[in-house]
Amino acid sequence: MLKALSEPFRHKRAIVQKVAAQAAVPKRKKEKAKDWRRTLPRIWSYLAREKGRLWLVLLMVVLSSILGLLGPFLIGKAIDNYIVTKDNSGLLRLLAGLLAIYILNSAALWFQNYWMIGIAQNTVFSMRTQLFRHLHKLPIPFFDQRQYGEIMSRVINDIENVSSTLNSSVIQIISSVLTLLGTVGFMLWLSPLLTAVTLIIVPIMFVGMRWITSRTGRLFKEQQRNLGELNGYIEETVSGQRIVKAFCQEERVIAELLDKNDKLKESGFWAQTYSGFIPKLMNVLNNLSFALIAGAGGVLALNGVVTIGTIVVFAEYSRQFTRPLNDLSNQYNTLLSAVAGAERVFEVLDEEEETKDEEGNEELAGVRGEIEFKEVSFSYEEGGNTVNHISFHASPGETVALVGPTGAGKTTIINLLSRFYDAKRGSILVDGREIKGIKRESLREHMGFVLQDPFLFEGTIMENIRFGRLDASDDDVMKAAKEANAHSFITKLANGYGTIVEQDGSGISQGEKQLLSIARAILANPVILVLDEATSSIDTITEMKIQEALHRLMIGKTSFIIAHRLNTVQKADQILVLKNGEILERGSHDDLLKQKGFYFELYNSQLQREIG
Amino acid sequence: MKVISILKPYRVQIAVALFLMLVELAVELLQPLLIARIIDNGIMKKDLGVVMVWGGVMIGLSLCAFAAGVSNSFYASHVSQNYGYNLRKELFTKIQAFSFENFNQFPATSLITRMTNDVTQMQNTVFMSLRVMLRAPLLIIGGLVMSFIIDARLAIFIAVAVPVLFVFLMWVMKKGGALFKSVQENLDRVNGVMRENLSGIRIIKAFLRSRHEVKRFTEANRKLKSNTAFALRLMESTNPILLLVMNIAILCVLWFGSVQVNTGGGKIGDLVAVINYSTRITSTFSIFSWIIMAFSRAKASGSRISDVLNTEVDLVAPVDSVITRPDFKGEIEFQGVSFHYPGTKKQVLKDISFKAEPGETVAVMGATGSGKSSLFQLIPRLYDVDEGKILLDGMDISRLKLEHLRNAIGLVPQEALLFTGTVKENITWGKENATEEEIKISAENSQIAETIASLPKQYETRIGQKGVNLSGGQKQRLSIARALVRKPKILLLDDSTSALDLKTEGKLLGALKHYPSTILIITQKIATAMEADKILLIENGMLLMEGKHEDLLLRSSLYQQIFQSQFGEESLKHAKGFE
Repeated sequence: MLKALSEPFRHKRAIVQKVAAQAAVPKRKKEKAKDWRRTLPRIWSYLAREKGRLWLVLLMVVLSSILGLLGPFLIGKAIDNYIVTKDNSGLLRLLAGLLAIYILNSAALWFQNYWMIGIAQNTVFSMRTQLFRHLHKLPIPFFDQRQYGEIMSRVINDIENVSSTLNSSVIQIISSVLTLLGTVGFMLWLSPLLTAVTLIIVPIMFVGMRWITSRTGRLFKEQQRNLGELNGYIEETVSGQRIVKAFCQEERVIAELLDKNDKLKESGFWAQTYSGFIPKLMNVLNNLSFALIAGAGGVLALNGVVTIGTIVVFAEYSRQFTRPLNDLSNQYNTLLSAVAGAERVFEVLDEEEETKDEEGNEELAGVRGEIEFKEVSFSYEEGGNTVNHISFHASPGETVALVGPTGAGKTTIINLLSRFYDAKRGSILVDGREIKGIKRESLREHMGFVLQDPFLFEGTIMENIRFGRLDASDDDVMKAAKEANAHSFITKLANGYGTIVEQDGSGISQGEKQLLSIARAILANPVILVLDEATSSIDTITEMKIQEALHRLMIGKTSFIIAHRLNTVQKADQILVLKNGEILERGSHDDLLKQKGFYFELYNSQLQREIG
Repeated sequence: MKVISILKPYRVQIAVALFLMLVELAVELLQPLLIARIIDNGIMKKDLGVVMVWGGVMIGLSLCAFAAGVSNSFYASHVSQNYGYNLRKELFTKIQAFSFENFNQFPATSLITRMTNDVTQMQNTVFMSLRVMLRAPLLIIGGLVMSFIIDARLAIFIAVAVPVLFVFLMWVMKKGGALFKSVQENLDRVNGVMRENLSGIRIIKAFLRSRHEVKRFTEANRKLKSNTAFALRLMESTNPILLLVMNIAILCVLWFGSVQVNTGGGKIGDLVAVINYSTRITSTFSIFSWIIMAFSRAKASGSRISDVLNTEVDLVAPVDSVITRPDFKGEIEFQGVSFHYPGTKKQVLKDISFKAEPGETVAVMGATGSGKSSLFQLIPRLYDVDEGKILLDGMDISRLKLEHLRNAIGLVPQEALLFTGTVKENITWGKENATEEEIKISAENSQIAETIASLPKQYETRIGQKGVNLSGGQKQRLSIARALVRKPKILLLDDSTSALDLKTEGKLLGALKHYPSTILIITQKIATAMEADKILLIENGMLLMEGKHEDLLLRSSLYQQIFQSQFGEESLKHAKGFE
């Protein structure tokens, strides 16, 4: 029941996530865990924190299973011993006993769920929190190497999986097993012969199930594939509707959809039909065993081997007997996917944290902002950008522009400077001190960042700017916003600084986001500034505001700019022209133009059309 | 509802499926009755023959029920699969007929959900309705009726318990629904913080805000935990209570049944049968809540689908006098065009007039939200103008056949949208019957040929899902190739070269000059605009100025500012001096 109730919400959730995450969270169908032996003990290590309650749950499950079996048994007794013999006072005593059993049974059921839910929620809570904390300790390469959607899927779907399994499956599995064993035990004790008759259906059930599942497995896979293809097509064409219309391709896409739709219908029909056999099979077996018990039981009763009460008990038990079998096979699958989910969560938790700062790493204080790269080389493990023998020197307050084609190594240099990655060879010095000997936190405390994709979180504009310095007053925030040229657009918003930024940042243009992130950096007031100019097109007016704000921000700071705009480059004290991970040319704008090298060519490709 | 009328052609199959289900149900309801016969007429009267006969009948009936169930599976599956098929077809055809005004009513993501999840939901509900959903309530009612037939005095107890439990169940469901909604909100919040943190991890690390974020997350997580526990606990309370009430009813049945047996007014077999019916009812109750849920979900899905199917398509049928003319020179003229998006008040274009001669290149510049993209959308009539006219070769476009108009246009949108399939398929999307030669030429001209040559299977390489991922710039160039292959008379480039480096962009624009197309290009880059025959400077939906680069550089202070921001002060002086 619980599953039934929470399922629709999970369904809706799935859509919400899909829509929001966009980065297609890969759907995994009942994947198997790779290493049970390692994963199970780890799941246990979470549950073990709740040992006391867990024992209570187990006790209650045992209790309710026994009481559940006792009910029908006592009814049989009532019929045999009291109703048939017309012993009213005996019956009354027995009924009183039954009432007590029923009340106890319901109480046991209630408590086992109450406690189990507590355990499950605590477990999931600590798993989530731990995962979140851990993500913050992971080094940047972890995030660079993985798809955002994949991490999200672990964090959301896999944990949800664990949660729902703990909530209901654990109890169900234990009680199914207990009920099954208990039922068979009781039946054997009451009448081995009639038990044998009842158990005839078990092999039939297994053979039948096998026959069905051997067909449905393949069919479901095919249906799933066809459905995926169809839905993918729908997604594409609907979001690309503008193109479909502008190119007059409506009829063509309809035809193609119908084709895919047809395929789905075909495979869906057989998958659904065959899987529809399963409940029917369970039904017929239930009915058959019921008939067998009635018929064979009747014959046996006539011979005095069993009593009427026994037949009644068996009739009830036989129904309790197929259900747990069915439940078990369902729960087994859920359990498998939950263990697999937990394993994927543990995989993230096992990722190595950002190397701890070495012993004796020092705080950085009173920084002037002198930066030096000495023969720095670095390569990402999996291909990507590489830089070689990079050496340069930036005096405090200087502006260094990094210029070059995509993949030249501009971002890598920034990554190394901020110790998101550590250089493989060579050394990087801040105020003459090796940065490997400085605490990461302390280093970054002196750095400010304005990155291409400004990070805005759900909260007010005020909070988003204050992110730069948490103890800043409202006045400080507004002052920073004014300096960043952001004040005027903020005040035009409906709620001014109190405007909530939506999760997807809608309502605020890309350029305005840049302004906010500049305001943030102004508020933080770092000594060293890292700028990654946005390549995406920002409208010209906002662009001017950004340029102006950046100019103000850079005053007195050692700034590193990944530059895409000629204007920025021209103003830099020093330009490093990078190509294939090496510094090809360096110098001021005028120097470089005189060299008539690569930079000259780059620059002219922007200007030549005007002159020519 | 239209969603239901789609089932109409399958009336017969539905009737058969329901009949088969009733057969099954009847067998199930007969069984306790038969066992009562065996006990009363067989065992109590020591008549072996009766036991054997009724036992045989029970087995026979079980097999009948099985046969009915299996056939039901065929029919139910047939109906539901066809239903899903038709529903999808109706929806998709409808959506293809949508105008863009219609699209504004439904965000794309919502349309997709309706066509995928909601349809599947409805399809499953149809399937389950024909099999179990109706069965559960019928079993409860049937069980009650049978109990009454067997022994009305005993059946009373069950008849009291069932409605009470039903009301209780409904109450819990309602309460639970509200609780789970808030749980959902809590969960969205937790996932939202997680999502933000993942996408902003660089900045968070750079600003050293981990501790702050962990605190934020833990708060949200804690709220989620306690609310989930509360909601689940409420839901899990139903089962024990249900059991208790039904069990007490059974106790009453037992007691009064035995009193009747004692006074000679009742039979033991009947008593057993009534008890058996009540346990069957008890176990059916537990799937009842699931059924209610499924139906309410189906209802929601159904109305979401109906919303789409009932939407009136409000464009774009051309006015009576259609000019059939598939061939154009490509002269475009805007005459006092004003436009606002349907459902909004703000006028995005005001009184725009300009003219582009055949073969001319016109650059459109302006701030975000100034109306540039809107202007583009009017040309292929994705929207219709409010006032004024747009003329193609001197003819009002609203009088042209839509197909002819759009076939003359190559649109390259801001966001390069490609479809899953091979490179070739994506290019020929623009022109199905394009020759190899045409494909190659358009790839070369859009500066993507080299990239394609480096792909594993060149033109046959799959892109998109399960295929090669292209970079933003590569996608843009491919979508330009898709437009070029049509040799359009009018080429609309909506800032579609933003991700290209300057060199490539230069080559591309050079290649475009060889096309006999009238080119309209939205751009932020002066360097690109300089190439054009004419630049339109748009601000707040109005045409601020029109002219060549040199003109604007002299006359427009806005243009000067833009120039300066991109090239620096000195260049501005230099450029002006050059004039």
